[in-house]
Amino acid sequence: MPDSRIEIARVAKDFSVDGRPLRALDGIDLTVAPGEFVTIVGASGCGKSTLLRIVAGLDPAHDGEVRHDGRPVTGPSLQRGIVFQEPRLFPWLTVAGNIGLGLENAPLSAAERARLVAEHVALVGLSGFENAYPRQLSGGMAQRAAIARGLVNRPGLLLLDEPFGALDALTRARLQDELQRICAHEGITALLVTHDVDEALLLGDRVVVMAPRPGRIAEILDVSASKPRDRRDPVLAALRHAILDRLEATQAAQPQTATAREAGRRPAATLPLAARSA
Amino acid sequence: MTAPVTAIAWPARGLAASLHRRVHRHLASIALGLVVPLGLLVAWAAAAASGWLPEQILPAPRIVAETLVEMVRSGELAQHAGISGLRVLAGFSLGAGLGLLLGAAMGLSRRVEDTVQPLFTALAQVPTLGWIPLLMLFLGIGETLKIVVIAKAALVPVTLNTASGIRAIPEGYREVARAYRFTRVQTLRRLILPASVPPVFTGIRYGLTKAWTALVAVELLASAEGLGYLLVWGRQMFWLDTMIVAMALIGLVGVAMDAGLARIEARLQLWRIDAR
Repeated sequence: MPDSRIEIARVAKDFSVDGRPLRALDGIDLTVAPGEFVTIVGASGCGKSTLLRIVAGLDPAHDGEVRHDGRPVTGPSLQRGIVFQEPRLFPWLTVAGNIGLGLENAPLSAAERARLVAEHVALVGLSGFENAYPRQLSGGMAQRAAIARGLVNRPGLLLLDEPFGALDALTRARLQDELQRICAHEGITALLVTHDVDEALLLGDRVVVMAPRPGRIAEILDVSASKPRDRRDPVLAALRHAILDRLEATQAAQPQTATAREAGRRPAATLPLAARSA
Repeated sequence: MTAPVTAIAWPARGLAASLHRRVHRHLASIALGLVVPLGLLVAWAAAAASGWLPEQILPAPRIVAETLVEMVRSGELAQHAGISGLRVLAGFSLGAGLGLLLGAAMGLSRRVEDTVQPLFTALAQVPTLGWIPLLMLFLGIGETLKIVVIAKAALVPVTLNTASGIRAIPEGYREVARAYRFTRVQTLRRLILPASVPPVFTGIRYGLTKAWTALVAVELLASAEGLGYLLVWGRQMFWLDTMIVAMALIGLVGVAMDAGLARIEARLQLWRIDAR
């Protein structure tokens, strides 16, 4: 049940671009402790979603390995829930039907399934909409249903790939608060990928900053502010500057050094954090 | 949670009103569909009345109507239509059934698609009429020929639409199936079948139209009964009224069959019925 540990060791992945291999991820080392909420932030193209997909077991790594509670990840598992950027609800199923998809392979009786679905409908605040079809939902409601589908198996780990990226600012803020509440309530380990620095800081116990080409970890920051957090917390504001500086540096350093770096670059060490106790 | 609620409050607010609106829209669309046919009928009647063309070439609507009544009364029309209907039923069932199987195999397996696609595309390019001479040599001109020609006509669109419909299922949905470790059977039942209803039905409706057209073609060439035969016979005897009756009936039966299929399709897709 909840509280899974994730160990990512020396993970690398290549993509083929015009027939030539392009290193998308290089030397990723990261451990996520049980119950921890880790966010990964980076510019588009830094491989953060690729990393998440490898952890989910949807794509294979070319090098290194990912362990979930000590067992190597070789494919998707019901112990790892995933929420994509788009809700990906099946349009021919109701909200309850879509959430129930997560339980398709759970060894449960029909009554237990129904109970779990109802419980998770309530958890994400969709009570009363069980029988609505996806096209009747707003974007925020659809994403709530997707989160419920990701949680309904009670996985130890929840993976979120820019889950609020397509929502308007108000809905996004509301769902971020809900996610904080849900994860605290379930005591679940979570790994969330985003390009939104504020989101990363609001939700993460630690924030992993990634740099592009090849995708690698530039820095890991601890966020000491207690949860649930307020997005106006000055601690977050100070960290925000540190992360933005770091992201800008990775962008600026890019053009002239990209080719020189390409060959056999080792992972950047985790840098000591500058702005920790603001 | 406040804003979107209105979007979904409709069931309580006005089922009756929405039903009323839907019936209204339905009747309006039927009325619009009748405008052009009625216009043509009026033009036809006017042309016939003015003596613009000799009566042998353009009989008045009244004469055609009388012929229709006469043919219905004698049972002649029912006999021809029944025979044609049975042929289409047999040929279409065979062609659509095979097309569904072949299309599903092509949609589900890249290897099957790679093996079958080039030849299939090439064969599909040859119009149904082009197949008849060769098939006549193999099958004679009996019922088998007719059923095979109709089946081939239905097979092509059903196969192509089924295959491309399955291929077009978004990768994102397939990933959801993968993330929850669906077995092949679960993926088929939960994702592929429901997702492919719209394209499969497009293929089936198109296939039925093709089958009906092929029926007329094959009856024109090799038959002594059926609606297509009635057309040829009408032309040879210069009975334009008989011809027009047969043509109208062929068209009407086609419209009726298509409407029936549309109905079944809507029944299978209740989830998107008022999205239209």
